[in-house]
Amino acid sequence: MYPADLLKSLELVHSTRQRRRAESLPRLEEQQRDHLLKTYHPDYKDAAFRNLRVGANKGDRVTHELADLLESFSDLDHARINLEPEFTTDVLVLGGGGAGVTAALFAESLGARVLLATKLRLGNSNTIMALGGMQASVAEEDSPLRHFADTMVAGGFAGKAPLVKALVEDGPHIVKWLLDIGVNFDRDALGNLATKKAGGLSAPRILSIGDHTGLNIMKVLKDEMRKSGRIEILEFSPAVELTTDAAGACNGAILYDLGRRRHLAVQARAVILATGGAGRLHNQGFPTSNNFGATGDAVVLAYRAGAGIEGMDSFQYHPTGVMFPDHMVGVLVTEAIRSLGAHLVNAEGRRFVNELETRDLVAAAIIREVEGGRGVRTPSGKVGVWLDIPVLEELLEKGMLKKRFPSLFKQFRRVRIDITRRPLLIYPTLHYQNGGILIDEQSESTVNNLFVAGEAAGGIHGRNRAMGNSLLDIFVFGRRAGLAAAERRGAVPGPVTLNHLTRYYDRLKSLRISSVAKSPTLFPEFIVDKL
Amino acid sequence: MLTIELEGRKIKVPEGLTVIEALWDTGHDVKRGIGCLSGLCGACTVAYLEAGAQRVRFGLGCQTVVAEGMNVIMLPYFPSRMARYDMERMTNPLQELAGHYPELTACNDCKACNICPEWIDVAGFVKTAKEGGYESTADRVMDCHMCGLCASRCPKSIAPQYVGLYIQRSCARQRPLPPNLAKRLEQMAALPADREFTQVAALNRAGLEAYCRKILDS
Ligand SMILES: Cc1cc2nc3c(=O)[nH]c(=O)nc-3n(C[C@H](O)[C@H](O)[C@H](O)COP(=O)(O)OP(=O)(O)OC[C@H]3O[C@@H](n4cnc5c(N)ncnc54)[C@H](O)[C@@H]3O)c2cc1C
Ligand code: SF4
Ligand code: SF4
Ligand code: FES
Repeated sequence: MYPADLLKSLELVHSTRQRRRAESLPRLEEQQRDHLLKTYHPDYKDAAFRNLRVGANKGDRVTHELADLLESFSDLDHARINLEPEFTTDVLVLGGGGAGVTAALFAESLGARVLLATKLRLGNSNTIMALGGMQASVAEEDSPLRHFADTMVAGGFAGKAPLVKALVEDGPHIVKWLLDIGVNFDRDALGNLATKKAGGLSAPRILSIGDHTGLNIMKVLKDEMRKSGRIEILEFSPAVELTTDAAGACNGAILYDLGRRRHLAVQARAVILATGGAGRLHNQGFPTSNNFGATGDAVVLAYRAGAGIEGMDSFQYHPTGVMFPDHMVGVLVTEAIRSLGAHLVNAEGRRFVNELETRDLVAAAIIREVEGGRGVRTPSGKVGVWLDIPVLEELLEKGMLKKRFPSLFKQFRRVRIDITRRPLLIYPTLHYQNGGILIDEQSESTVNNLFVAGEAAGGIHGRNRAMGNSLLDIFVFGRRAGLAAAERRGAVPGPVTLNHLTRYYDRLKSLRISSVAKSPTLFPEFIVDKL
Repeated sequence: MLTIELEGRKIKVPEGLTVIEALWDTGHDVKRGIGCLSGLCGACTVAYLEAGAQRVRFGLGCQTVVAEGMNVIMLPYFPSRMARYDMERMTNPLQELAGHYPELTACNDCKACNICPEWIDVAGFVKTAKEGGYESTADRVMDCHMCGLCASRCPKSIAPQYVGLYIQRSCARQRPLPPNLAKRLEQMAALPADREFTQVAALNRAGLEAYCRKILDS
């Protein structure tokens, strides 16, 4: 329940609702967009970035948080570790979210032996948390070409056309596959897949399953993995390093068994990195919507093994992360709410941006309001703006919120905030890494036999990911990675080595970098700061 | 500061923390029961007794805020039996439900399973499933995040979450292919492989921009 101060500010939201409903805010002109981003979007805060001093992308601009990890040593005593493989397999999949499980399923479908190792429990991932939905061009007025154009525009034309082409062309086939294994996408009365329009889309293209899209897909994928019993699963075993052969090709990984507290080596003919994104690095001190294990491990591991990265200075700050109550800070309020017409309202009771602009613009506009002193302050000193959700009940129909957003309704019911009556206080939350490890259309990185899929991969979304394209990309490139990796079965993997580490560390030492940070991070250091 | 009993130990913690934050605050190195930290994934189930209360309650550790005098523990993952099957090979999986989950018929509607942190009426959907109301069951289990709390309580060893998932998948599988998807797949198959797109993918940035704007304006 809201404390008195916030209730007072809320009165203003309630009292201005009718007036706001009559208002329609114009979309921003090209120039205004540019100005808004450059002045307020965190990606443009130069002080938050520096240029990398080592590795394949030496000279590239990345966030300090990431640079700290890339310019550091690992906990692993690489000279002493036992490299005798405890497991050998054809395909080693690292990460048990949507991309990893899809890759494992498709690799196995070609008869490859598959081992999947993941940090926490299988399925514990960002994929489970995806609420809004998945893009795929199935609607009459839509087409893969439109999907292509929308994606390129959203990403500021920084996405790689061949990857975007793969994404949009595989889309409808992926939907078919998901339906075949029993994923229950919402349908309309005629049995068509229901499609919704979202910010920045030129046609209705979002498929969903209530407001629990990722969860319901992930449940089915996990269930599907059990069917053959041939995919071996190691839970609570995060990868802490990749291994390479004499020629520098990837041939396995070192895992850390969290239970037994020891390292173990796995040898494989191909490795698929699907460890997701980096939200838990809390760039620039932002809250995050990401799960506990999203610490950007893939980029660290692949980079040390020599892989190129792409666009790691571009992140998505989802405009609507929760700011009150404290224990929910960073939790996402789905974009579907804005797509339907909810208003963003500042402390003066005014709307300040067309809510259907792309995420980067809306996020920048909210930051502008807060920096300009038009934000609303919580008792613990956090500042946000209001998201007027109750207006939807008036705009559309009474009772629709509970029906269409049951998970959101329940999340707030737990803290006694009734979203049908009360707006939510929100602020941008670190949501997605737009860049990642550079891949080709087969999902292979620039290191031989090292494949990457999902949020860890880069080059698809350019500098801004459109809503719903991530859920699609994890299946499209998860599948491609799985199939291509399984084809590497012929080759016998050479002995596993950590020679790439020796080389990388020599570089660090020659630059007199002696950082104390250890990477990968694996788990965020949590400071409970409410005392 | 509040005094609570956490994992069997009396301890002082600051006000306003969730159970998970209280565990961190007191130096517990918890990883197993942590996932989304948003009340979405079901990894962090806890059991707690509030001061003066009679009944143990269940909830999510990342969303349950500690209160004075609360006695709380994190629950370990509960093992429950799941059937193994290949959905893609079955044309009518609903007919095979009883073969995979025979214990479903043993449900006596005792309602012991109604402790769902998602407020799902578990006993209700199990009953509906037993009576053959599959579509309605599938609808009602959509928010289940598989925490397994309900299964931990069932005297008949029914795992409602897995029965529900089986039914959810079966219903989806048995629906006809959506006409709009079928049409799109047909259209795509009819196009000559790689036509226009090959040229598009080779365009330079200015070319790409012009091309995309053209499509979006059409
Ligand atoms: C709250 C939220 C809502 C979202 N909503 C949407 C949406 O509506 N539509 C959309 O398209 N996208 C959405 N996204 C984005 C999308 O869900 C993710 O980008 C996508 O699911 C990532 O999938 P993934 O398989 O790459 O990574 P994840 O699903 O995060 O899986 C990564 C896995 O790797 C494991 N792992 C991590 N490090 C290691 C390691 N070192 N070794 C081994 N395993 C490791 C993790 O534990 C996890 O299991 C949302 C994201 C969030 C956080
Ligand atoms: S497993 Fe049972 S208790 Fe847990 S969410 Fe699902 S129905 Fe509810
Ligand atoms: S606890 Fe078991 S027997 Fe009792 S109602 Fe639930 S499913 Fe049926
Ligand atoms: S950590 Fe996911 S529900 Fe609590």
